[in-house]
Amino acid sequence: MSKIIAVHSYKGGTGKTLLSVNLAATFAKLGKKVAVFDLDFRAPSLFSILKAENVEYWLNDYLNNTCDAEKVLVDLSSKISGNGKFFAGLANPSTEAIRDMSAKDRKWEMRALGRLLALKETLLVDQKFDYLFFDTSPGLQYSSINAIVAADFVVVATTGDRSDVDGTKRMLLELYNLFEKKTGLVLNKVLDSSATAKKTEMSNKIKTVYHVPMLGIVPCFCEILRAEGNLIFVEDKPDHPFTKIVAEMARKIENNEVN
Amino acid sequence: MIKDEILTKKPIAILEKIEESLERLNQKMEVIIEIQKNGNDNQRSALALPDASLDVMTLLSMPDHLRKTAMAICRCVHATAEEIAGQTSRARAVESAYLNQLVIMGYLKKERKGRKAYFYVDRETQG
Repeated sequence: MSKIIAVHSYKGGTGKTLLSVNLAATFAKLGKKVAVFDLDFRAPSLFSILKAENVEYWLNDYLNNTCDAEKVLVDLSSKISGNGKFFAGLANPSTEAIRDMSAKDRKWEMRALGRLLALKETLLVDQKFDYLFFDTSPGLQYSSINAIVAADFVVVATTGDRSDVDGTKRMLLELYNLFEKKTGLVLNKVLDSSATAKKTEMSNKIKTVYHVPMLGIVPCFCEILRAEGNLIFVEDKPDHPFTKIVAEMARKIENNEVN
Repeated sequence: MIKDEILTKKPIAILEKIEESLERLNQKMEVIIEIQKNGNDNQRSALALPDASLDVMTLLSMPDHLRKTAMAICRCVHATAEEIAGQTSRARAVESAYLNQLVIMGYLKKERKGRKAYFYVDRETQG
């Protein structure tokens, strides 16, 4: 069943973009038709990460109601092996566009929510996309909450940082619960999680702390830091443990096994 | 045959009008009951806000029972109380009351098409 998946976190630097891009790429490698959208309008990053060229329309234009959803999609399928389709809807990285998006009022945000909800009909139903990923900005920003409301499932990225743990707990209780959103937690940048017993212990501990299902635990990989946010990891390093962890997350999402 | 039709058509039309009026009365009653049941000072002061817009921050600040209905109408765009009840798994009469309450609060618009009442978020003029 096709889905909109929002990737969100309380704090910045938790790996939302890394997860969004690599989950989307994993589904594309499995032959699915996917699109990843950059909803972090204050600090757009997909444009650089995916090295998109000659972008004619931005996601900003779609939300401003000046173009259709199809016009925003940049076909990046050539960057992925296999028969799947991989598209991106990019946020405009120019300073002027960032300033413009920061100054939007409630009326505009309400319309933007309507445009995001409409993607279900235009892309999932009409264009037969299997998955749409929303890479959001951290915390309680309008654009992020719009993305969460429009999504069918929310991937919550978090780290072991004390302020992140407390903030994520609060957000789960006061945001996702209120919107009755199905969520899966990803604990990222975990030190020393190699042993299976340790993983189980950690998974149980997380369930007790956050009261939400675990989607995955990602150890701190130096190779990811070395990549400097410059690649689609699952494509470039198919045998890397990170690729296997993301593949397992994708399997859980596909089979509705997040519980 | 034609005479029979003429004789039966008029009473049916009158009955349909009576039914429609009763339905409208029923909906108004449901709203009054619902406001009495769930209404508090905050809600009453939130009624008929001149700049009411159904954005996510408004959704967050709503009481749980209204948020569920508002979220469903956001997803459907344009729907009857019965269609919303299908999404929320609550009774049609309950959804009808909540939808009418959201109309009074200025977050939704309502229009009649024949005997059915449709509710929708007017994204073009709200805010």
